[in-house]
Amino acid sequence: MDEKQKKIRNFSIIAHIDHGKSTLADRILEYCNAVSKREMEEQLLDNMELEKERGITIKARAVRIEYKHKDGEEYVLNLIDTPGHVDFNYEVSRSLNACEGALLVVDATQGIEAQTLANAYLAVDCNLEIVPVINKIDLPSADVDRVRHEIEDVIGIVADGCPAVSAKVGLNIDQVLDAIIDGIPAPSGDENKPLKCLIFDSYYNSYLGVVVYVRVIDGTLKAGDKIKLMSSGATYDVVEVGHLDAFGLQKCDTLSAGDVGYITASIKNISETRVGDTVTTAENGASEPLQGFKEALPMVFSGIYPADGARYNDLREALEKLQLNDAALSFEPETSIALGFGFRCGFLGLLHMEIIQERIEREFNLDIITTAPSVIYKIEKTNGETIFIDNPSNFPATDVIKTAYEPTVRANIITPVEFVGGIMDLCQDRRGTFKDMKYLDATRVELHYVLPLNEIVYDFFDALKSRSRGYASLDYEFSEYVESNLVKLDFLLNGEIVDALTFIVHSEKAYPRARKIAEKLKDNISRQLFEIPIQAAIGSKVIARETVKALRKDVLAKCYGGDITRKKKLLEKQKEGKKKMRRLGSVEVTPEAFMAVLKLDDSEK
Amino acid sequence: MRSLGLYIHIPFCLKKCNYCDFYSLPCTQGAQISEYTDALLLHLKTQSHLYTDCVFDTVFLGGGTPSLLSCDDISKLFSALRENLNIADDAEISTEANPGTLDKEKLKTLKDVGVNRLSIGLQSSFDSDLKRLGRVHTLSDFEKIYSLARSVGFDNINIDIMYALPYQTKSDFLKTLDYVVEKSPEHISSYCLKIERGTPFFKTVDESSLPSEDTQYEMYLDMCDFLAKNGYEQYEISNFAKQGKRCRHNMKYWLSEEYVSLGPSAHSYFNGVRYSYLPNLSDYVSIIKRGAMPKALTEESVTMSENEKRDEYVMLKMRLCDGLCENEFKSRFKNDFISTYPSIEKYIKSGHITHRNGNFSFTPKGFFVSNYILSDILFNN
Repeated sequence: MDEKQKKIRNFSIIAHIDHGKSTLADRILEYCNAVSKREMEEQLLDNMELEKERGITIKARAVRIEYKHKDGEEYVLNLIDTPGHVDFNYEVSRSLNACEGALLVVDATQGIEAQTLANAYLAVDCNLEIVPVINKIDLPSADVDRVRHEIEDVIGIVADGCPAVSAKVGLNIDQVLDAIIDGIPAPSGDENKPLKCLIFDSYYNSYLGVVVYVRVIDGTLKAGDKIKLMSSGATYDVVEVGHLDAFGLQKCDTLSAGDVGYITASIKNISETRVGDTVTTAENGASEPLQGFKEALPMVFSGIYPADGARYNDLREALEKLQLNDAALSFEPETSIALGFGFRCGFLGLLHMEIIQERIEREFNLDIITTAPSVIYKIEKTNGETIFIDNPSNFPATDVIKTAYEPTVRANIITPVEFVGGIMDLCQDRRGTFKDMKYLDATRVELHYVLPLNEIVYDFFDALKSRSRGYASLDYEFSEYVESNLVKLDFLLNGEIVDALTFIVHSEKAYPRARKIAEKLKDNISRQLFEIPIQAAIGSKVIARETVKALRKDVLAKCYGGDITRKKKLLEKQKEGKKKMRRLGSVEVTPEAFMAVLKLDDSEK
Repeated sequence: MRSLGLYIHIPFCLKKCNYCDFYSLPCTQGAQISEYTDALLLHLKTQSHLYTDCVFDTVFLGGGTPSLLSCDDISKLFSALRENLNIADDAEISTEANPGTLDKEKLKTLKDVGVNRLSIGLQSSFDSDLKRLGRVHTLSDFEKIYSLARSVGFDNINIDIMYALPYQTKSDFLKTLDYVVEKSPEHISSYCLKIERGTPFFKTVDESSLPSEDTQYEMYLDMCDFLAKNGYEQYEISNFAKQGKRCRHNMKYWLSEEYVSLGPSAHSYFNGVRYSYLPNLSDYVSIIKRGAMPKALTEESVTMSENEKRDEYVMLKMRLCDGLCENEFKSRFKNDFISTYPSIEKYIKSGHITHRNGNFSFTPKGFFVSNYILSDILFNN
């Protein structure tokens, strides 16, 4: 192995949400003088505002750190940050593939959580050396020994003597550095072999085009080289290569085996540079790509509409801009009778959906209405045709369906023992199939269920949190499509179907859910001058009914001693409220009514 | 001569009622009230030059509790009014009064200074309601004062009542109505209780103790019916009068006519400007004593645009049973009413508004949802 690679360590930090991954990254950067304290904005690696607020890293980032170890040698440490959530599992695994090792951060007060496990298993799958780091030892409730044992028992890696640190106060960070140098193998590529680079992230920059983050496995690369993306065969001329330090892109001459860096090549569209793809040279390139490339496929769909119909084009622009840096987001125009013009958007999962919705509202200052999230159903029709449905309104009538299939996920839930009963009830209620239950220690349990994805896209996570006082954690991955007795449930207001409220439900759940949603609608539709019948129907059969009674009283009786302005302001305010309403046939509905019906779990009441 | 209304706000009460959100302070000290009366007189003197070409054909003392003024204060106030303003011989001069703050002497004084209309707050004929509302009087206090008022010669009396009170049933309210009609006042104002933010009721009244919306609606319709049968013509959402006894001062509000005012929190409409004074007694008194400009007293002042005048005109006119006359609207605003407010048509179809002989007016059921309808029809610019 060449001398240069011996001095490189490529690693990720993996952890359950809030266990301190980003803080540890900050401390490492600080310790190695990659940034001074003064320069450092808290949690440098998370540079989206939303990430900071949620404390999660959505998109992978990489940073190169030059570090002089106590043995007197200069090392290059490439810290590759990973998204911390299951929705981004595929991206996580690509980031991990760019590394030789991973720091597994575990909170000394919480121990192992669902995402700790999921991430550790991913790292094992990628053949990474795992270095546990026990964090938050400054907290009074820290129990380092217990957590050490848990790591050894549950994950099966040695944790005896692993660093126990407080990233927050900067305690024992030197031990982490030692562990990185000593515990994580150096890369072992061959720079004389044909070029093979793994794309683990990319983003769009309006001056440079797409900036592609790569790990060079074999070979070398420099500006002027002609490269090929192996999945599409597309070729480009490299404009620039370089490294990423804490302050951004730093141009360099070449990237070679073992390096982590970036490439720009006047690439216009991020969708051309898919995460996991292999970059090689256009001539004399590698014959086989790196393994494991797949396109990240959206699993959850929802309609997004501008609250103000006139802002349809603004919404389109917002989605286009978001897509520039998020190839996993898909959208196409759709029309709803109820909501007008909007888009059907596909997301990797629930968190991804929430993040996109929030970014549209926050970064583009758009009020939006979203419909209930849905999954992709597979339908075999009686005429032999197979179709996939991502919009509940398009679900065919029962008589043309031969067999319907819905996607299921393997869910892994970790919870303190006392909440197991409530959580099992919840999973049962959501048509879950119990697989097994494992005690992690005397107080905590890991539950495995197979659950239909459509049962968890609404509010499963909230329900789980409320039934476990916030302690349970969840992780899931796609399992398979299974045959299912699905029906399309329509809601009618004043006799007219509101397409935005239609959804697909298992036939056994149709009655209770129809009743509940009808009730919610009744509570959320304000009274109007006429009575409004609310009906839930499967086909032409009405299975639940509620009525919003007619408004009888809305009057200002008092005289207010000539205070006309007050009366006027009151009416004007009422007018403002009315402007936000959506007119569904003859019925006016607030945007909030659409959202309220999505919350199905009542366990907190 | 240009006719004008005058409103004088007396921001004191023995004790504030639990539902009231008007500007008023609890006060039992005559000295404070006298000091305030002096400030009013001073304010009046500095303003009077603005009204040299006006004749005041209505004066209204509201509150608060104007009947808390001492006989001396009353006399001083009225002689100053006549000294500084041109008050019409046939002016309607009203005073609000609380039965707990009146006696024969004060009634006589009021009568002597020219008050010719008395508006007495009764609210309910049940002592249990009065107690819950935080009124300082009982039914028998009212009974006494009412006959005293008649005996000293008041021949134009309004009784204020309220409905939709906590725990009130339809038959309870009918009993109050019975009682009031029995007294045969010239005018009845009947307001639906509204739980206002910031009042004690906002915190203490449980929603479930209030009559349902449907019951309130029925109370309203029953009341309109009952009062009509007993010779009281409804002329506004909440106001009923015997022939020729409408409140001329309040009519000015609803007809978009001009009125000016004195006192903290009081509102005026003069020369196309709606303005109000700060709702702060001590500031009001000290600013006037300092001789500061009226601007310092003003909380809010809005010069009305033509569109605002038009929307307000409709909003106010539609409070009246007489409603709005298309021709009058057209000559006033140079526009056709229906084409200015096209969305009104669906409410004609739905029976909430009638359109008869060139006149638009709310039906009783329309009155009770008039906010909903007006907010839909108006304010489109």
